[in-house]
Amino acid sequence: MKIYLIAYKNLLRKKTRTVLTVLGIALSSWVLASLLGFNKGYEGALNHDIDNMGFQVLLTAKGCPYEAATLMLKGGTGLRYLKESMVQGVAEDHDVAAVTPMLMQAIFDPNKGESGGMSGYLGVDPATFPQSKGFLEFKKGGWFKDPDAREAVMGYEAAELEQRDTGDKLLIPEKNVEITVVGILKRTGTQDDGTIFLPFRTVQEVFGRKGLLTGMGITVRKDADIDKFTERLYDLPDVQVVSMAQVKSTIMSLLSSAKVMVFSIALIAIIIAMVGVINTILMSVFERFQELGILKSMGAMPSDVFKLVWAETMFLCLAGSSLGVLLALGLARTTELLVRRLLPYAPNGGLVQIDWRLAVGTVAAVTGAGLISGLYPAWRAARVRPLDSIRNEAE
Amino acid sequence: MRKLAAVIAILLILPGPAGAAVGCDLNDPDRDVARLFPESTGYKTDYISIKSRGGEPLLRRVEQRLGDKFQGLYETSDVPYTVYSIIKGKELIGYIHGVNQKGVYGGIQVFLALESDGRIRLLYFQKLTSRHAKDLRAAEFEQQFKGLDLKDFSSYDVVAGRAPEGSRLATIKNPAPAAEKDFRAALRGVKKNLILMDEFFFRKAK
Repeated sequence: MKIYLIAYKNLLRKKTRTVLTVLGIALSSWVLASLLGFNKGYEGALNHDIDNMGFQVLLTAKGCPYEAATLMLKGGTGLRYLKESMVQGVAEDHDVAAVTPMLMQAIFDPNKGESGGMSGYLGVDPATFPQSKGFLEFKKGGWFKDPDAREAVMGYEAAELEQRDTGDKLLIPEKNVEITVVGILKRTGTQDDGTIFLPFRTVQEVFGRKGLLTGMGITVRKDADIDKFTERLYDLPDVQVVSMAQVKSTIMSLLSSAKVMVFSIALIAIIIAMVGVINTILMSVFERFQELGILKSMGAMPSDVFKLVWAETMFLCLAGSSLGVLLALGLARTTELLVRRLLPYAPNGGLVQIDWRLAVGTVAAVTGAGLISGLYPAWRAARVRPLDSIRNEAE
Repeated sequence: MRKLAAVIAILLILPGPAGAAVGCDLNDPDRDVARLFPESTGYKTDYISIKSRGGEPLLRRVEQRLGDKFQGLYETSDVPYTVYSIIKGKELIGYIHGVNQKGVYGGIQVFLALESDGRIRLLYFQKLTSRHAKDLRAAEFEQQFKGLDLKDFSSYDVVAGRAPEGSRLATIKNPAPAAEKDFRAALRGVKKNLILMDEFFFRKAK
C-alpha cells in the first residue's frame, strides 16, 4: 500500500508533466472510446432504420434509384413506372407474405421559397400498407379507408411544417386538388416523418398515372431465402430489386474500409500516447537516479523499485483513460453531430453508443497498453546500482 | 452495379435526421440575407424559444399581446425561432426573423426583415400555399408593410381581422378577397413575428 502512496506522491512532484501526460492519454482514450461507440451505435441504428422500412425487399422500375433523384429534380417527369398488374404476380410467389404497392409523385410548387420548390406525395394502399408498417402510431386520427379517398395522412414533421391538424385541407399545387387530412403520425425518427401519404389510386388519378406504380414493398415469409427470392424477381422484365439485407451489407462494407482507416488513426494516437508515457516515466527515473540508489542502499529490493515505477505508470494510465472515457461519454452527442455532418448517409438514433462495458474495456485496454509501455522504465529503475548513483553524485 | 444502385436507393429511401419542434429558417441564408440586406457584410444566427426565454409566463404575455391563443399542435413554447442578426462591418443594421403561421391549405412562413429599431424593411412569405398565393406574394402587397412597426399592429384584432379606422394598417387591403382567411393569417403571422422580436430583443434593449 505504501508503494502506491509513494508512487502517487512522486507524480505530484512534477504536476505539469503529469497533467500533460494524463491529457495525452485522455485524448487517445477519448478517440478510442468514441470510435468503438460509433462502431456499435452505427450498426444498431442502421438495423433499426432498415427494420422500420416495414418490408425486406423493394421492387422498382429498372433504373429507378437514379430516377428517384429525377423525381426530386424534375417533379417526376422522368420517372419510370411498374405496371400495377405486376403486384398480383409477385404476391403469388410462395416466399411472399405481403405486397404493398406504392406510387410516388412530386410536383413543382412555385410558392415555396424564392424560386419555387418541390412537393412530394406517396400513394399507398390502405389495405396493405398499414400492416407492413405496423409500428406506425397516430398522434391524431387514423388511416384513410377508401383507396380513392381525397384524404391524406401526414408524417409528424410534414404536418408540423404545413401546420396541419386532422380535418384541415391540403392543396396539391398546379393540380388545384383539395385533400383532407385524416391522420397525423407520431414521430418515428424515419423518412415517414416527412411524408404525405395519400391513397395510391388517388395519386394515380390526380397525377394521371392510372395503372402505374413507382415501386412495391415486399414482406417475405420468415423462412424464405431472400437471396433466391430476389434472384427470381430479376426474372421480371425491367425491374430493380433492392433487398434491405443487401443494402445493409453494402453500407457496412463501405463503412468497414473507412473504419479500418479511422481505427488506424486511433492506434497511432494510442502509440503516441504510450511513447509519451515511456518518455515521462523514463525521464522521471533518470531524474531520481540517486534517490533510487539510496532507496536500494537502504534495503529496497529491485522488485520494490520496479513496482514503484510501474505503479506510477498505472496511475497515469488509469487517470488518463478514465478522463478520456468521461470525455467520450460527455461529448458523445457532439461527436454524433460531427459524424452526421461528415457521413453521406447516417441512420437515425444514437450513432455513438458507449455503455459501461465499452467504457471499462477502453480503460482496461489503455491501462494495459500503458503498463506494457512502463515495463522498460521500471526495469531500468530496478537495475540502478547504489554505487553507480553515489558515483554519479560525486561527479 | 446492383450494389451501387442499392446504395443510391437507400440514400434516397432512408430517413434524414429526426428533430425537435420545427422552426422557421431561411432556405438559403447566405443568398436571402444578401437579397434582403444588400449592404450587409455578415450575419449571426440565434435560436430562441419562448421556453428558454421565459417559459409559460412569457407565452401568456405573448398571447395577451397578440390577442389570441397559440393554436394547434405546433404553436408551442418549444418552437425554436431562428433570428438572423445582420451586420455591416461591426455595426448591427437589422434582423431577419420568420414564424410559421397556419394558413387554409398549409403553413405560411412569414419572414420580416427589420431595421435595427424594429421597423419593417420588407415582408417576405417564404412559403405560402393558397389558391391566391401569387397575389399575396406579389411585391406590391409585401411593400405596403415597409416602415410599419409593432405600434401599428398593437391595436390590430387578429381574431376579427380588423384594424382601427384611420390607422396605417387599415390602408392595407386584401389583394385577393377570396383568400380572406389567408390574408388574416398572414397579418396574424406578422403581428406574432413583431411581438416575439420585441420580447426577444427590442424590449430588452429599451
